[in-house]
Amino acid sequence: MIPINKKLILVGFTLLLLAWLSLDDLVEDWSQVESAPEKLEKFFTEDLWPPDWSVLEAEVWADGSLHKPNGDMCNEDIELFCSKAWTGMVITIKMAFVSTLVGFIISVPLASLAAGNLTPLPIAIPARVLLAGLRSLPSIIWALLFAIAIGFGPLPGILAMTLYTIGYLGKLQYEAMEGIPNAPLESAMAMGLTHSERLVHVVIPESSNHLLSQLLFMFEYNVRHGTVLGLVGAGGIGMYIDNYVNPPFAYARAFALLIVVFVVVVIIDLISMFIRSFVTEEGDVRRPKWWTVLLPAGVAADYYNKLSKGKKSSKSIQESE
Amino acid sequence: MAGADGSSKSADAAHDDEPEALVLQDLSVGYKDPLISNINKKIMPGELIAILGPSGIGKTTLLRTIAGLIRPLSGKVSHDYPTRSGIGYIPQRLGLIRHSTVRSNISIGARSRCSKFYPAFFPLSRELKNDVKSAMKSLNIDDIADEPVRILSGGQQRRVAIARTLIQKPRIILADEFLGELDKENVKSIITATKKVVDEIGATLIMVEHHEERAMKLADRIWRIEDNKLIEEGDSNQ
Repeated sequence: MIPINKKLILVGFTLLLLAWLSLDDLVEDWSQVESAPEKLEKFFTEDLWPPDWSVLEAEVWADGSLHKPNGDMCNEDIELFCSKAWTGMVITIKMAFVSTLVGFIISVPLASLAAGNLTPLPIAIPARVLLAGLRSLPSIIWALLFAIAIGFGPLPGILAMTLYTIGYLGKLQYEAMEGIPNAPLESAMAMGLTHSERLVHVVIPESSNHLLSQLLFMFEYNVRHGTVLGLVGAGGIGMYIDNYVNPPFAYARAFALLIVVFVVVVIIDLISMFIRSFVTEEGDVRRPKWWTVLLPAGVAADYYNKLSKGKKSSKSIQESE
Repeated sequence: MAGADGSSKSADAAHDDEPEALVLQDLSVGYKDPLISNINKKIMPGELIAILGPSGIGKTTLLRTIAGLIRPLSGKVSHDYPTRSGIGYIPQRLGLIRHSTVRSNISIGARSRCSKFYPAFFPLSRELKNDVKSAMKSLNIDDIADEPVRILSGGQQRRVAIARTLIQKPRIILADEFLGELDKENVKSIITATKKVVDEIGATLIMVEHHEERAMKLADRIWRIEDNKLIEEGDSNQ
């Protein structure tokens, strides 16, 4: 009999081989990869670098007056607030906020109907099919459909992101709901609590860590995706990026806007970490020092043991005094 | 009582004129194959029953069947109590919501006393909120009311689980090894607090126990599971 680790190695090797064969089948001409680094370097040094930070400034008209991108006069004390980066990002964040929130509110009850541990299969399967249908179409296609129906602007973007959010978040949510321990649910079922009571008072609090993490990830995703939706006239920072990557090309400006998007995404991630700290156990244990990750496990454990003993003894000295 | 009839082979024939709290009639429990077969028992209100037996023999399955969480393979479980709040179930792992506070966990039990048409996201009535407070007080957990359950000790978590069940005012309490591996002092104080409230409600308590000595001390009746059969100690009919 083959030991388990050999089996794992065999499975891993087979998967890698399959991946390589698929890739080789898809790529017809490998020679095109050879010149790729030079082409990329040329594009980066000639077109992208340095980023053109004029996107952080207001537009200066011929008479010397400062204007917002929509043509309104800039009356702000700080010029940044009239810039394309700021106004575009604010619109994108507003779009992402509305669509994430509305999508979340709709997806939670739908996910609870799709979760196998909360509802019987005849209800769970249609709910899953509905969620799959919503996320099968990428948000850019939804945006195109809505742009045809109601015209260009932020609204088709919001509707597109909302529908995609319901489908995408719904799937993550029902999987998180299915992953909660059985015991709290069984207690609630024995009590005779209804589906909505179990959802609100057991399932949502029990899976709160995952739900929050997914919600904040979806918000971040929608902010990033807002940049793509601009391509179909949905407004926001994506519209300006789209303008710059089309003739007359201004890649350096587009690059500066992408850096702005990156900074916003990092800030959202930090906020997410802070919010999730209320429902995770990371605050309950001592955070390791950064350099201890470089030590072997035993040495790091000795360090913490010594540290806690030292603290205890200093405490007991204080008490005896 | 639905499903209860005179044919039940119970040990407590002396109580025949009193209404039973629970009747197990020709009951077989298990998943595919029966773990325990042909259970015929009548349980009177206020009785404290301990179920003993080695691991994996079907004690938890029996409890879950009585709680209505799994269907019996054959026979039936009958009682007259409402399905809402009538049965309190404390699973082996207590079933607490780790990130919620002590108060929120106990409030879940209190919610079962609301009408099932009362919206889930509406707050509890003032009366029920007061009941939550007094339940916490009676189990000495009022000082940790706003702490998340995950940071509590094993003993404190058990008190929360008991408070959550007792506030339901259930008529039948099913507890699966709820005393666990607690130390003697903790067991004593939890038992005292539980008994006090159980007596107030007049509930029947059926508990799965691993400690034979503890079960003998606490229970009015002992059920032992052996060779797929439930045998009652001191019952000459079996």
